[in-house]
Amino acid sequence: MDRTTAPYIQPIKTLNILPPTSHKLPNDGELFHLSAVEDEAVKIDLIFDAGSSKHQKLISRLTGELLFSGTPSQSSDQLHESIDHLGGFTNVEISDEEAVVSVLGLRENMIPLIKLVLDAIYAAQLETREVNQLIASKKQQFQIAMEKVSTLARREFLSHIFPDSSYGQLTHLVDFENIERDDLVAFHQTHYIKGLQKIAVVGNLNDQEIKHIIEATEKFDRKTVQPTSQAFNYIPEEIDVSKTGAVQSAIRIGRILFNKQHEDFIDFNVLNMILGGYFGSRLMTSIREEKGYTYGIGSGFAQLKDTGYFFISTEVGEQYKDATIAAVKTEVERLQNELVSQEELDLVRNYITGQLLKNADGPFAQMDRFLSVHKHGKDLSYYNEVLTALNRITPDRIRDLAQQYLNWDAFVIVKAG
Amino acid sequence: MIHFERFTLPNGLRVIFHKDITTPMAVVNTLYDIGARDEDPSRTGFAHLFEHLMFGGSVNIPNFDGPLQKAGGQNNAFTSNDMTNYYDIIPAENLETALWLESDRMLSLAFTEKSLEVQRSVVIEEFKQRYLNQPYGDMWLEFRPLAYEKHPYRWSTIGKDISHIEEATMAEVKDFFHRYYHPANAILCISGNFEFDYIKELVLKWYGDIPGRDVPKRALPQEPDQRAYKEKTIERDVPSDAFYLGFKMPGRNEPHYHAADLLSDILGRGKSSRLYKKLKKEKEIVSEINAYILGSFDTGLLMISGKTADGVSTEDIEPIIHEIIDELKTKPIEETELEKIVNKVKTTNVFSEQGILPKSIGLSMHELLGDANGINRETAKYEKITPQEIQEQAKQVLAKTNCSRLTIKATTNG
Repeated sequence: MDRTTAPYIQPIKTLNILPPTSHKLPNDGELFHLSAVEDEAVKIDLIFDAGSSKHQKLISRLTGELLFSGTPSQSSDQLHESIDHLGGFTNVEISDEEAVVSVLGLRENMIPLIKLVLDAIYAAQLETREVNQLIASKKQQFQIAMEKVSTLARREFLSHIFPDSSYGQLTHLVDFENIERDDLVAFHQTHYIKGLQKIAVVGNLNDQEIKHIIEATEKFDRKTVQPTSQAFNYIPEEIDVSKTGAVQSAIRIGRILFNKQHEDFIDFNVLNMILGGYFGSRLMTSIREEKGYTYGIGSGFAQLKDTGYFFISTEVGEQYKDATIAAVKTEVERLQNELVSQEELDLVRNYITGQLLKNADGPFAQMDRFLSVHKHGKDLSYYNEVLTALNRITPDRIRDLAQQYLNWDAFVIVKAG
Repeated sequence: MIHFERFTLPNGLRVIFHKDITTPMAVVNTLYDIGARDEDPSRTGFAHLFEHLMFGGSVNIPNFDGPLQKAGGQNNAFTSNDMTNYYDIIPAENLETALWLESDRMLSLAFTEKSLEVQRSVVIEEFKQRYLNQPYGDMWLEFRPLAYEKHPYRWSTIGKDISHIEEATMAEVKDFFHRYYHPANAILCISGNFEFDYIKELVLKWYGDIPGRDVPKRALPQEPDQRAYKEKTIERDVPSDAFYLGFKMPGRNEPHYHAADLLSDILGRGKSSRLYKKLKKEKEIVSEINAYILGSFDTGLLMISGKTADGVSTEDIEPIIHEIIDELKTKPIEETELEKIVNKVKTTNVFSEQGILPKSIGLSMHELLGDANGINRETAKYEKITPQEIQEQAKQVLAKTNCSRLTIKATTNG
């Protein structure tokens, strides 16, 4: 048998992402529902306008973690007992732009569970004792995180590319001492009680059950999110952060760019993929697979509401620090000076298509895909635009984008170690 | 209920097929019955190093990742103390590309010096990144040899010592491959929207001619029953003190494994657990506390771990943990508390079966444990557990003489 010839590869032609049904909430927010779940699993995301860019970062993060700290009728212990008894799991994720409270459970318990969760969030007391306990453990976690070179590099990088914006604001140890409970209460009022924006339900629930969920949100208000028009200026520079005893250095290299709304976004993503977006990328091939300097290196393209930033990130042995930066520079410049081969471009094209298919596999993933475009005012047709753009993109276009956006002189370069 | 079909090739390869008509993707999961526990004590970290080498090209195909990516697929692998698992996720139309690649690296590797040299270096950087350059990162490197004296669980998958990786030779690599990487020592699980006959035909085509070899006999030194409390204190440059208590518990296939699992949930899973409520919320002496099990195939560990609150010493904490443990030994838990814990397990199990990748890995792992259908019996096993069995396990597992304790003392105050 001939094992040297690869089987024929079939092109992927279609991408079917089921759109969720949409329902109005009493506060004029929206509930999205995907019901195509085969078993009893239900996941409900409550999306609040309570991200960490809305206020001092720490205030937003602490408030998010205090949502289940007790109400006038239930202590924190009792509340968790009730959630657990319903087989429920909750998780609060605070990003720059929003707070997402996820509730996981089985269908049979979901309605009492979501009512319990909504009531707990609405009536959260933020008692002093609970606040102080949280501050004490968060302070410790902060100190632990500050021992990691990856944290040091990330902080330095963000504060340099966002010198004038809340995205670049850093938390310091002393901030934990200066937390006023009133600030947390005020944040809870404005950004939770008046901040319920969207609900995403994935699970085999019927119309009646959806109606129950909608009714349970009645008390929540919704202030329209104010559009901000920030300018994002930064100064490209090199920063060294020293950490005694580190055996590896963390490296971050990158710049401000743009977000999904920009006309070059989709094509730039292809360039990013070639450089550092997957296991076979140029950075992984050169710095891990050829030179063995690191366990992993990659590039990413972070999406914010008003902008986005591109970054390369890795942790390398102390002795490889400078050689790594030089090798990264070589790879970036190759993209600016040489055309990618048709073969590499085909590979990346197919890889991205396969990844799209995988990332839209199943109702839970499909809801994530929907929300990630909805956030930027787009609909699911966006994914077909990606497929079309992938078929159109040329090696020349990749080189042009690299020349336009990946100039070494435009990068902030941080080394921590 | 996860439906599947099973067959075995003449060369010994066990094959599981799971049909899922809802997905456009396919999964090819290959589990090899080789983990860090099978390593030579003077060559630890080898199973994991080998996992890296499996991506360095096979006998007929110079590069593993490229062709898979070109077919729209992606892959990864993990090594544990008990097994090594490789998976590919690929658009269903291109399933055959994954079978071509996986079968060729089961047949033989390229064994290039370059690949060995580079992956040694990559694994050393992984060692540094995950174990040395993180606060508390070397905890398992210290804890395993304290808890285990005879069993090879006394070292981590990364290995005891970097020098074991540095000194690995090509001859050892080849020998390792020959012994552990062949059809009779592997389980292949394919999932996706296919017909069973089609899968059979493809598996026969790509795997049928790979020679079968004898399955290596496993005769691991078993850990003797622990008869005395063990402790060790180390100092590290970390912000606060941390403590780790490990109690020997039944292995994955042994009676009472599931009861011991529930016992750890009662103690320390989530914010309504006994340890959390008492130590963190009521007494405010820890900043974090958890209990969990490792899920090992042989004699495992039920872990209780945490970090002390500022100004509290680890010595003050352990007596309170033992008070809570004693309560479990002397008094059967209420039915409502048991019901709560089982409800959480049910939710966890339903969510762990979302998507074809976790289903494929789960089926393969249960087949390794003896029967792939075990995945469908897990929840029922938890539902059968009684307060008496929990109490009995508390007495057995949570005996103080059955405990090993590691303390990491902070040398600085942040």
